[in-house]
Amino acid sequence: MKFIHKKIPEDINITKRHPLSNLAHLLGMVIIIGVIGFVLLGVTADLISRWISPEMEAKIGNSLLTMVSDNEIKDDKRIKYLTELIYSLPKKDEEIRLPLKLHLIESDVVNAFVIAGGHIFIHTALLKTVESENELAFVLAHELGHFQERHPINGLGRGIIFMLVANILNFGTHVNVPDILSLGSELYLMNYSRKQETAADLYALERIINRYGHGGHTMQFFKRLEKDEAEGNLVKVSEYFSTHPRSKERIERLMLEAEKQTWKMQGDATSVSNI
Amino acid sequence: MDVSSFYIFLLLLILGYAIGSYLERRHYKSIQQREHETLHVPIITIGAKQAMPNAEEAQLFVGTVVISVDYFKRFSAALRNLVGGRITVYETLLDRGRREALLRMKIEAIEWGADKVMNVRIETATIGGRSGNNNSLGSIEVIAYGTGIK
Repeated sequence: MKFIHKKIPEDINITKRHPLSNLAHLLGMVIIIGVIGFVLLGVTADLISRWISPEMEAKIGNSLLTMVSDNEIKDDKRIKYLTELIYSLPKKDEEIRLPLKLHLIESDVVNAFVIAGGHIFIHTALLKTVESENELAFVLAHELGHFQERHPINGLGRGIIFMLVANILNFGTHVNVPDILSLGSELYLMNYSRKQETAADLYALERIINRYGHGGHTMQFFKRLEKDEAEGNLVKVSEYFSTHPRSKERIERLMLEAEKQTWKMQGDATSVSNI
Repeated sequence: MDVSSFYIFLLLLILGYAIGSYLERRHYKSIQQREHETLHVPIITIGAKQAMPNAEEAQLFVGTVVISVDYFKRFSAALRNLVGGRITVYETLLDRGRREALLRMKIEAIEWGADKVMNVRIETATIGGRSGNNNSLGSIEVIAYGTGIK
C-alpha cells in the first residue's frame, strides 16, 4: 500500500463552540440553579431553626455570649432601669419566649443588638445619644421584636447552612465558583435581613404606641443620626445602622403604617431617668 | 467576597481570555504549518504478528510539551464541574498538547533522517496543580515517543 500525503482534518478532537458562548451558557445555568438552591436552603434553614426548642436556644445563646461580651459593665443601676423598661413594652397577653438578659457594654460606638437566647446588648454610647425615653424604648422594642420573631436563631441557621454549602462546593471544584455563589448569597441575605428589620420596626412601633399612647419622639433618633451621618459629625455610627435600611425609608414606612392604623404620632417626651 | 477582589477576578478572567485565545490561535497556526511541512514522514503502527519494515537503523524519539491552562479556561471548567458535560475549553488544550508533542518527536526524527516513525505512544500527566482544594493553575504534560527508522 502506498502512503499518500493527506492534509490532517481539523476539528476531530475538539468541539466547535465559541468559548464565550460556552461560558455564558454555563453561567446562566449555574445562576438559575443557584437562585433556586438559595431559596430552598433558606426555607430549609427556617424549618430547621423552628425545631430548636427554647432550652436549646438558651444554651446556644450562652455559648455565643462568651464571644461577644467584652467590656461588659456589671452591677449598674442602668441595667435595672433598661430591664424594667424592656419588660414594660410587650402587650399584656404577649409571652416573651425566653427570659431576657440585658448586657451593658462600655463602648463609644452607637449600637444595640440581640443574639439568640434573649441576650440584648446595649452600648453606653447609645444611652448618651438618646434624648428621651421614647427613643430608647423604640430601640429596645426593635431588638425585642427581632427576638420575638426568632430572627437571631433563624439567622444563625441560615449562616450555618450557607457556610456548609459553600464549603462543600469549595471541596468539589478548586476555583472561584464559590466566590460568585457567596456574592449571590450575600445579596440574598441582605434582602432577607431588610425584611426582618421592617418586621422589627413595625413590632417596635406597635409596642411604643401601646406603652406611651403615642409615637412621638421616636423617629427623632433616626433623623438625628441620619443628619449627623450626612454632616460627618458622627463617625462611629457603627455597623448597626449600616445593616439597617436607610433611616429615611424606615421613617416613611413607619409613618405610613401609623397613618393606616390611625396611631397618634405626636406627644410629650418621657425623660430618661437615672442616666 | 468584597468588591475589589471581584474586579481582580474579572480582570484575570478577561486577561485570561484575551491572551489565552490569542496564544491558542497562534499556536494552532504554527501547528498546522509544521504538520503540513512534516507530512511526508508517516507515523505507522505495526501489530505484533505483522512483519517489521526493513530498516538499517532505528532510534527512539521523544517529544514532550507542557501547556498551562489559563484563568478563563479554568473558570469555565470549574463551572462545568458543577453541571457536567463536555469541557470544550480543555479539549483544545489537550489537542494542542498532543499535536505539539507529536510534532516535536517527528521533527527530531526527520533531522536524524528517519523516513518512518513507528509504534508511537502518547501519554499525558498533570503537573503544577495539586489535587484537592487549591487555587494554583494546573498544567498538562504530553509525551509522545516512537521509533524512527531509516
